[in-house]
Amino acid sequence: METTLITLDRIGKTYGDKTALHDVNFTIYPGEFVALVGMSGGGKSTILRLIAELEQPTAGTITRAQADLVVRVMFQNDRLLPWMTTLDNLSFDSHDKAQQDKAKKTLASVGLKDFADQYPNQLSGGQKQRVALARALMADPQLLLLDEPLGALDALTRRNMQQFIGQVCDQGHLTTLLITHDVDEAARMADRIIVIKNGTNVYEAAGAKGQNAETVAKVAEEVLQVILRPDDDPTQVEAVAARD
Amino acid sequence: MENVTGMTKTKKTHRPLSWQRVLPWVIPVLIILAWQVAVSAGWLNSNLLPSPLAVLQDGVKLAASGELMKNVSISLFRALTGFAIGGSIGFILGMANGLSKVSRALFDSTIQMLRNIPHLSLIPLVIILLGIGEGAKISLVAVGVMFPVYINTYHGITRVDPELIEMGKAYGLSKRQLLAKVIFPGALPTILVGIRYALGVMWTTLIVAETISSSSGIGYMATNAQEFMNMDTVLLCILMYALLGKASDLIAKALEDICLGWQQTGRSEG
Ligand SMILES: Nc1ncnc2c1ncn2[C@@H]1O[C@H](COP(=O)(O)OP(=O)(O)O)[C@@H](O)[C@H]1O
Ligand SMILES: [Mg+2]
Repeated sequence: METTLITLDRIGKTYGDKTALHDVNFTIYPGEFVALVGMSGGGKSTILRLIAELEQPTAGTITRAQADLVVRVMFQNDRLLPWMTTLDNLSFDSHDKAQQDKAKKTLASVGLKDFADQYPNQLSGGQKQRVALARALMADPQLLLLDEPLGALDALTRRNMQQFIGQVCDQGHLTTLLITHDVDEAARMADRIIVIKNGTNVYEAAGAKGQNAETVAKVAEEVLQVILRPDDDPTQVEAVAARD
Repeated sequence: MENVTGMTKTKKTHRPLSWQRVLPWVIPVLIILAWQVAVSAGWLNSNLLPSPLAVLQDGVKLAASGELMKNVSISLFRALTGFAIGGSIGFILGMANGLSKVSRALFDSTIQMLRNIPHLSLIPLVIILLGIGEGAKISLVAVGVMFPVYINTYHGITRVDPELIEMGKAYGLSKRQLLAKVIFPGALPTILVGIRYALGVMWTTLIVAETISSSSGIGYMATNAQEFMNMDTVLLCILMYALLGKASDLIAKALEDICLGWQQTGRSEG
């Protein structure tokens, strides 16, 4: 049996009488890059918040490979502390020498060695997201969660950051869950794509990470069709379940 | 009262043009010159409005006799003691209510109710309860200072970006770290606004308290001089208050510059 990192089993989440998620089922395996795609309001961020234990599900169970699984989130907005330099943002202004050294190394690994003493408001949008990525990497996470981290960037910076994040995740053998509403981004970056629609997972496809533009476009189109399909054909969900 | 210049935040340029330095002083200097000329030429009755030079001479005389120093220092002592006491209470209550729902439920509505009482209206009450001693004046200042510090601390804490707090939690910060590294620095700009405002309240309260009931302090000096129609000293006292007010404003501004240096580091981008 393959080892699993985290499994969501019949997860539901309601806020008052509003159902944000129902019957969400999927597993993430160590080392893979998974993308959750879907329209806004579909429930993607809620899934991420449950995995990060920022909230608890109202139904179902989440099983982790170990209780103290180190999970780090990178959010859509950088969420850097504006009153700390980039270096201090990584170490949370720690006075511990080892932490500071690690912060320096991590900052260098995202190409921002010379920006250690700058404040976030002195950086460009792309640089800020690099700092946010570096901060997420500081704890050597076993699972990296990315919630539309590139949504606020211009198209060129975005492409550049897609490549960059891909490299970092590959080199660090990181397990990554990327949330995006951009099917193209999902196809290009992921090993596996899960489509989230109306609060549940409705489809799964192989991603086209590292493959040519044509394959990427084909996968993106396939996923897009699923997202845009008027209503969900229950047999599709079963087909997905059977494939695992 | 004269704090208008202090409030406008001019953006720091590395090479300030000299006229930008000089310009703010032009009007005050012109007024003082005109005033001196008007009195010297006899257009103004020097008994009612002494010349700037006469005020200065009076200041030198009172300084030499040690009277000025004595009264200024007792006023400073009252102001700072009252500020320290009221500021601390306001700060602690603001922090507590900003952080704890229980504390908020217990204290906030009471504080909001008391806040609507103008603190100067407490003067008769305070005089009856505490007499005209130091305690009375210090507690009036403390009460006046407490509310602006409280309100701004409380609002500062409750309005810290919830996304940053969520980030702190997701990144495993302890409660203490969250407070020290996220919540407090996030609230600091608002807290400092409260402190700056409270410094103004501190002086106004003290002036009124010393004018009404006192046997020392700048306010007393002014009232006493007024009884003897000693206009030089009355104007000197007003000048002292202006200088002390300006000094506390400069201190508050320096504090902001030190604590909020990160806000000034804007990125110059197009
Ligand atoms: N704290 C909350 N309270 C109420 N409703 C919420 C809350 N968080 C999310 N929702 C609702 O849950 C649904 C899914 O939201 P979200 O997970 O943010 O979607 P996505 O990330 O896919 O855009 C939305 O309809 C949203 O309004
Ligand atoms: Mg979202």
